[in-house]
Amino acid sequence: MNDEAAARVLLVEDNPQDLELTLRALRRAGLGADVHVARDGVEALDFVLGPGGGSGAAPARRLQLILLDLKLPKCDGLEVISRLKSDPRTRAIPIVVLTSSREASDVARSYQLGANSYVVKPVEYDRFSNAVAQAGLYWLSVNQPPGLE
Amino acid sequence: MKTADNRQATLQLKDALKELGDLKAALDEHAIVAITDPQGKIRYANDKFCAISKYSREELIGRDHRIINSSHHPKEFIRNLWATIGQGKVWHGEIKNRAKDGSFYWVDTTIVPFLDGEGRPRQYVAIRADITERKRAEDEVRNLNAALEQRVVERTAQLESANRELEAFSYTVSHDLRAPLRAIDGFSEAVIEDFGPLLPDEGKRYLRTIRAGAQRMGALVDDLLTFSRLSRQPVQKSQVDMGQLVRDALEELGDAQKNRRIDLRVGDLLPCLGDASLLKLVWINLLSNAVKFTGKREVAIIEIGCSAGRHATHYYVRDNGIGFDMRHAEKLFGVFQRLHRMEDYEGTGVGLAIVDRIVQRHGGRGWAEAVEGQGATFHFTVEGGAAS
Repeated sequence: MNDEAAARVLLVEDNPQDLELTLRALRRAGLGADVHVARDGVEALDFVLGPGGGSGAAPARRLQLILLDLKLPKCDGLEVISRLKSDPRTRAIPIVVLTSSREASDVARSYQLGANSYVVKPVEYDRFSNAVAQAGLYWLSVNQPPGLE
Repeated sequence: MKTADNRQATLQLKDALKELGDLKAALDEHAIVAITDPQGKIRYANDKFCAISKYSREELIGRDHRIINSSHHPKEFIRNLWATIGQGKVWHGEIKNRAKDGSFYWVDTTIVPFLDGEGRPRQYVAIRADITERKRAEDEVRNLNAALEQRVVERTAQLESANRELEAFSYTVSHDLRAPLRAIDGFSEAVIEDFGPLLPDEGKRYLRTIRAGAQRMGALVDDLLTFSRLSRQPVQKSQVDMGQLVRDALEELGDAQKNRRIDLRVGDLLPCLGDASLLKLVWINLLSNAVKFTGKREVAIIEIGCSAGRHATHYYVRDNGIGFDMRHAEKLFGVFQRLHRMEDYEGTGVGLAIVDRIVQRHGGRGWAEAVEGQGATFHFTVEGGAAS
C-alpha cells in the first residue's frame, strides 16, 4: 500500500469508514498490498498525472485499476473521469465508479465520460465486500491491460 | 306630350328622392354617419356622430377628423387609409377616436369614396358602428389571458424549483444516508469476523441485530427513494406485453420462491399502454407480496388474471395467503403501512404505495379485497380499454 510507483490500484474515497471497509475488502481479496489511497479528486489527479496536471512525460505508473467515489471534495469523481479519460496517457486505465449514488443521471454521465464500470455500494457489508473483491480481481487478474509484458 | 313627360319625370324624381331620404333616415337610425370633402373637412355629421363624439354639429362641420384623433394609431395606419380612399377604393377598419370630453371610443368604420365624372373622389361617406364595448371585452379577455399565462409561468417556475430541490434532497439521501448505514453494518461484521471468538454468543447476537437494523434501514431508504422518484420520473408509454412483464417479474423473484411449493396460475393477460419499467415494478411488488403472505401455506396458490373494460383494463393477483381484515383495507396503499408483525412478515411497507402511485400515473386505481386467514386479491386498472 505504500510504494507509490508499485501501486496497481488507486482507491479514491473521502469517507473514512467507507475507505476502511473498502481496504478491508481488498485486503481480504489479497489485493491490499497494491493499493494507493487518494482522499479527494485533486489528490487522485496529482497521483495519476503528477502534480499540476503533469504536462510532461507519461506518468510512470503501473496502475491497473482506479476505484472512484463520485462525491468527492475539491474535484468530484465525474471531473476525475473526464480528465483521465480525455488524456491519451491515462485513457486506458480502467475506472470503476464505486458510489452510493444510484441516480440515473450519475450512471449515464459516468459512462458518457468513459468510466469502465459502475458499482453502487450496497449497505450490506457482505455484498459490498463481494463487489469490491470481484471488481479488484477482475481488473487485476482477468483483464488484459495494454502494453504489459 | 313634353309637359306630360316632364310631369312624369318630376314624379319619378320625387319618388326617387323620397326613397333616398328614407334610406338615409334608416341609415341614420342605425349608424354613425359623416361626409367629408376631398380635403377631409367634415361637411355632414348625423345625430349619432354628435352623440358619440360629444361635439355639437356646429363644432364638427368644417373641421377635419383630426378633431376626434385619439393618437392611438400609428401614422402608417392613417396614411394607408388616405391612400386607399384617395384612389377611390373603399376602406374598412377599426378606429379608436377621442370624444370631446377626452373619453375614447372605438368604431368599426367603412369609408366609401364618391367619385366625380373623372373618377376623382368628390366626397367621402364614412359609416361607423360603435364597437367600444366589444373592444373593452376583447381587452379584458386579452388581459385575463396574459395574467393567466403569467401565473402559469410563475407556477411552473415554482414547481420546477420544488422539483429541483426534491431531486437534490433525494440525491443527498441516497448518497449520505447510506454511507453511515454501511459503516454500522460493515464494522459490526468486522467485529464478528475479527473478534468473534472473544465474544459470548449473546454479544454476537446483538451485533447481528445491529446489522439487521442497518440493513432494514438501507432497504427503507432505497424504497423511499424509488417511491419519491416515481412522481418525478416521466411515464414513457408504449404497448406493453403484460404476460411478458409477469414472467420477468417472477424470474426476478426467483429467490423468494426457493424451497416453496407454489401453484402458479397465470391467465392470458391483455396488453396495455403504459411504461413497461414502471408496470414491472407493480407486478414485482404484488407478486412478492403474494409469495410472502402465502409463506405458511403447504401449497401456495397464486392466480394472475385480467379482464377487459370499456375504458380501462383490469388486472389482479389472487392468493390463498393469510389475507387481512377488510377494516384496514384503505390503509393498505399508504406509505409505511404494515398490517403484519415484522417477525412474521418482513418488508418496508412501501410496496403497495409504490403500486398505487404507478397505477395512478397510468390513469388507473388499485384496491384490494381479502378474507382474513383465507387469502387476498389485489386489483389494479390501467387506463385505455376496449373503447379506446
